[in-house]
Amino acid sequence: MEHGSIEREIHIDAHPDVVFDVISSPEHLREWWPDEAEYPVEPGGDGRIGFGGSWVRFTVVDASPPRHFSFRWTHAEGETAAPGNSFLVVFELEPTATGTRLKMTETGFRERGWDEAKIAAEYADHVTGWDHFLPRLPACAAKLGATR
Amino acid sequence: MTTAVDDDLWSAVGDPTRRRMLDLLLSQGSGTATSLSEHLPVTRQAVAKHLAVLDRAGLVHARSAGREKQFHVDETQLARAVAQLTDVGNAWDARLRRIKTIAETIEKKRKP
Repeated sequence: MEHGSIEREIHIDAHPDVVFDVISSPEHLREWWPDEAEYPVEPGGDGRIGFGGSWVRFTVVDASPPRHFSFRWTHAEGETAAPGNSFLVVFELEPTATGTRLKMTETGFRERGWDEAKIAAEYADHVTGWDHFLPRLPACAAKLGATR
Repeated sequence: MTTAVDDDLWSAVGDPTRRRMLDLLLSQGSGTATSLSEHLPVTRQAVAKHLAVLDRAGLVHARSAGREKQFHVDETQLARAVAQLTDVGNAWDARLRRIKTIAETIEKKRKP
């Protein structure tokens, strides 16, 4: 395993086409993660996602329906998303007899400094969307859990 | 708290040998490069290098006792590392459960 990565796998009883749409389209993204999402679903598609009025950069790396969707997020305004300035999330979809096996990997924590969430929580008035967002992660998870 | 220190912390717990060393130090209370290397498939020199990484990340502290440094785990720092990893992992677990629910609901609607 790469240092500082998060890997998850889940089986979904739905066709890969459906799952791909749910993980990649801005409309659906809003249902499972941010409050707002604006980006073109195409390789290099540049946009943003919003959390309670704060915006975070979001750039599609690759979109190959229905097998692969990846994006980088949290890079600073004016920077091009790249290793070292953002997190990379990769979704891989594999058809099964009854639906789709979905694999998710998020990397970039090591490069970014893994504990920035802690810093942000302690110095809540930092100016970037990244700093505003990370303290919300646990609350966000709880909210999603509650509406599940 | 600088970013450099936090990078160290992240990469320190990311390595399987170092996680095994932390386990050993926790179960034994403390240890030296020599005592740890007896339980690991790596040389004493390699263990000493790993200990230096853990020390720099604040995960272990050394006491000079006799000829060799005696290391023990900083449990506060370790708890911090674990909590951060858990938070991000939990957030993704919740998102993926939500993705599953949404996709399966759409799938059911597609089928008459």
